Amino acid sequence: MQPATQAWWFAAGRMLATVMSGLLVGWLFGNVWVGLGVALALHLGWQLSNLFRLEWWLRHRSFADPPDVGGVFGEIIAQIVRLHRRKRFHKQRFVQLMRQLQRSTAALPNGVVILNAQREIMWFNRMAARLLDLRRTADLGLRIENLLRSPQFARYLEIGNFASPIVIRTTMGEDCYLSLQMVPYGEGQQLLLVSDVSRQMRLEAMRKDFVANASHELRSPLTVISGYLETLSQDPALDRDLQGPVTEMRRQAERMTTIIRDLLELSRLEETDEMLGGEPIDIPALLSMLRKDVVARPVHPRDIRIRIDSDAQLLGDEPEIHSAFSNLVDNAAKYTPAEGSIEMRWWVDDEGGHFSVTDTGMGVPPEHIPRLTERFYRVDAGRSRSTGGSGLGLAIVKHVLQRHGAELEIQSTLGSGSEFICHFPLSRVQLARVPQAAEV
Amino acid sequence: METADLSHHISRRFNEDLERVRSKVLGMGGFVEQQLHKAVTALVEGDSTLGESVAMDDYQVNNMEVSIDEECSRILATRSPAAGDLRVIVAIIKTITDLERIGDEGEKIGYIASRLATMERPADKYREIKHLGRVVSEMVHDALDAFARMDVESALRVARQDRLVDEEYESIQRQAITFMMEDPRTIRRALDVMWVVRALERIGDHAKNISEYVIYMVHGKDIRHTSLDDVERELREQRPATTVGGGVKPASS
Repeated sequence: MQPATQAWWFAAGRMLATVMSGLLVGWLFGNVWVGLGVALALHLGWQLSNLFRLEWWLRHRSFADPPDVGGVFGEIIAQIVRLHRRKRFHKQRFVQLMRQLQRSTAALPNGVVILNAQREIMWFNRMAARLLDLRRTADLGLRIENLLRSPQFARYLEIGNFASPIVIRTTMGEDCYLSLQMVPYGEGQQLLLVSDVSRQMRLEAMRKDFVANASHELRSPLTVISGYLETLSQDPALDRDLQGPVTEMRRQAERMTTIIRDLLELSRLEETDEMLGGEPIDIPALLSMLRKDVVARPVHPRDIRIRIDSDAQLLGDEPEIHSAFSNLVDNAAKYTPAEGSIEMRWWVDDEGGHFSVTDTGMGVPPEHIPRLTERFYRVDAGRSRSTGGSGLGLAIVKHVLQRHGAELEIQSTLGSGSEFICHFPLSRVQLARVPQAAEV
Repeated sequence: METADLSHHISRRFNEDLERVRSKVLGMGGFVEQQLHKAVTALVEGDSTLGESVAMDDYQVNNMEVSIDEECSRILATRSPAAGDLRVIVAIIKTITDLERIGDEGEKIGYIASRLATMERPADKYREIKHLGRVVSEMVHDALDAFARMDVESALRVARQDRLVDEEYESIQRQAITFMMEDPRTIRRALDVMWVVRALERIGDHAKNISEYVIYMVHGKDIRHTSLDDVERELREQRPATTVGGGVKPASS
């Protein structure tokens, strides 16, 4: 039998004994009811005193020992003590875990700031304090954007797309760059991860400088070589055996010039990653110009169509957009046989403006699509050499689109053609002045 | 702390309004800081496009000032704040004026930088300007930090630093005069440089003003045109003033 059940039986027995003895004493003295009443009053008094001791102990639990009472009350006290002990055990374990967690986050080489839904600072580790110049305790409860006032960070928060980190340049100190990323979690809480990327940025800058300088240095000697090759190939006195090699040399020199031109353009695009402001671009005029360029090629697909589904204009930098679009159209023309077709299309919907180039060329195997925009990436080694591309076209497209907040989507089926679509955000689209309703 | 804030303002919306305006002021401050940094960089590195972009972007600072000003008027009209809250609003209205002026001085530096970039650069590559620019940028940064934290100690430190800027200004001026006497051909450039140094010195003054508003906001004490030592002694004697509004904590808490 369980001790608790036993205690209950015991209590019931005691109750019964009290009632019986009360009745007995009452009967002996001639008044049963008075005897019963006195017995019950005594019992009640005893219970009350037990209750009082229990309550007193609960109130002064921290220093008083549990009262020594038997029966059901003893059981209750034992239960409370057990509950209390278990709670204390869990609490200790929890505190220990918390302390461990805090210690490990504090030791992280990256800065961590915990923010609540109002972006008020709840906690931060030592590295965050160092990188962001935060002060222990004094800065708790302050909004992060009040202390981290970089306009880029403000824009990052406003846009609310926290998929990738941003890099800001701190106004303090020379060439100090921080990478910041917000990570939402739980109920509206957010984590701000901070790391010092000055070294990476410096290396990156060095690499860019190197590419730009090297291309620049290569350009001048190459101009001389191509110049002489051109006169040489047109020289009627040139030995017949040499004509083939000279033409080939001239073609390769031209290709190198294209590569260097594209490299320079890429490094210029990379120099500033900021979004450009925009001038309205006349899309129909641009597309018909691109069409003329394609037709001017010695070999070109017979069917080149332009479809303009919207008279909205695109806001952007005209030379850059021209270069991106012409790279896409060039690619399509290069990989589409003469009997194939190319379609350029411009349309606007709720999501923004879209420009697509569809061709019926050889297509790209799906495993290559994600890597197409990498520099000098080749689907197969022979392909671009025979077509004379620089291998940088799509990288340029990607950069130009990035600078305009746009994205490149590539769809392709091997053997039946590809579609390259540029998705521009609505902020880049200027709707035509004439309202649509007037045309209906 | 939470309960105190809630009971303090009957309307929680009011608290949020105040906080939002404060954040906007600091956002504007962040933009101005960046403008200043860009302007000085443009001058020191001889980058004319950067200088032009600073001059072009100044309109954004003006827009921010107008929008914050409107919001403050709206709060004054609809909530009629009192005591600490009123001081916060008044301090904000004054702060944005100074920030806008800093923006204007930055625009001036950017404009001169784009012009100087086409001229021959001096042997010292504007080292003094670089140094002064860093001191002044730090002052603006610290003044805004003090504004965000309601931190009187840092505000006083910024106010003290202004003296250093004035000394630096004097020394660059003397140097420029020497250059001009030695070689009159440099007069044009030296005059432009003096304009820049003058603008930086003015920015230092505006940063000092902002830090004075912080002290006004926290202590309710106008310390303009008084000696800093007196102010400091007085502030040490008294505790932060009665109620500081807008869910804002004084730095000592």
